[in-house]
Amino acid sequence: MTTSAGFPPRAEGKAAPGSPGERTVIPRRRRAEATRVLPARAEGVFAFETFIDDLPFASERERHRLKLAGSEIFDNLLHHAAPLDAAAMTVRVSRKGDRIFLAFYFKAAAFAPYAAACSDPELRDRDPLFDAVRRRWRGIGLKMCRNLAQSISFRAGETLDRIYLVFEPERP
Amino acid sequence: MTQLDIIERRDGDRLVVTVAGPVNSYTYGDFQEKMTKALAAHPLVVVDMEKVTTLSSAGIGVLMAALDDAEAEGKRIVVLRPSEIARLALESTGFSDRFPVAQNLRDI
Repeated sequence: MTTSAGFPPRAEGKAAPGSPGERTVIPRRRRAEATRVLPARAEGVFAFETFIDDLPFASERERHRLKLAGSEIFDNLLHHAAPLDAAAMTVRVSRKGDRIFLAFYFKAAAFAPYAAACSDPELRDRDPLFDAVRRRWRGIGLKMCRNLAQSISFRAGETLDRIYLVFEPERP
Repeated sequence: MTQLDIIERRDGDRLVVTVAGPVNSYTYGDFQEKMTKALAAHPLVVVDMEKVTTLSSAGIGVLMAALDDAEAEGKRIVVLRPSEIARLALESTGFSDRFPVAQNLRDI
């Protein structure tokens, strides 16, 4: 088992060879999943991007959506969930038929308000705001996540918290 | 690819800024610095994004701030040939029409 303590195992099928932090399972009938432990620091975004780029069961377009939304979640976990209780967090991507699921597992205090903002259904219609004092735009990442994923949910757990994104097939 | 490469090339009055690699929360600072300097010295800045491998909200924020500054100073910024992921990132903000995009340098 390569994941942190408390992470639920879902092994079925044959694990593909990979790096020590990686576990890829290619089970029967279009069900597949891959898991990686990411360093909970800024450079970890590269490990996440590489993990997504190497997913064997997602199309290029699906990998793009996963990478854009997931890197926003990763970045915001570092900023809004700090201090994370562990030195690492776990990311899992799974496919069931045409749907793809992206989950981050971590343990941190006070991430719930950000997660609630992510899943706000009105976010799609709300424009980001320009912070004139800091001369930067705020809320772009949230809006990107909301437009790239069909749903975003957060669940606080006893041992691990989870943020969960669902990607449906794109309509032409 | 973990390195962001930014190459600048003068083309008459305009400056072509070629960005290659990931524009993410770790690398966007370089992009911001180059864009600020480019805009200060040129009336037209073309940002070639054909080889961008990811574009996070931090990178889009840099582009948006640069667009605002350009507009205020009577200058222009054009995004050239955005890669598929860069295009998707811009679209996912919900206001991609704010970003002037060209597919060919001759069209600018």
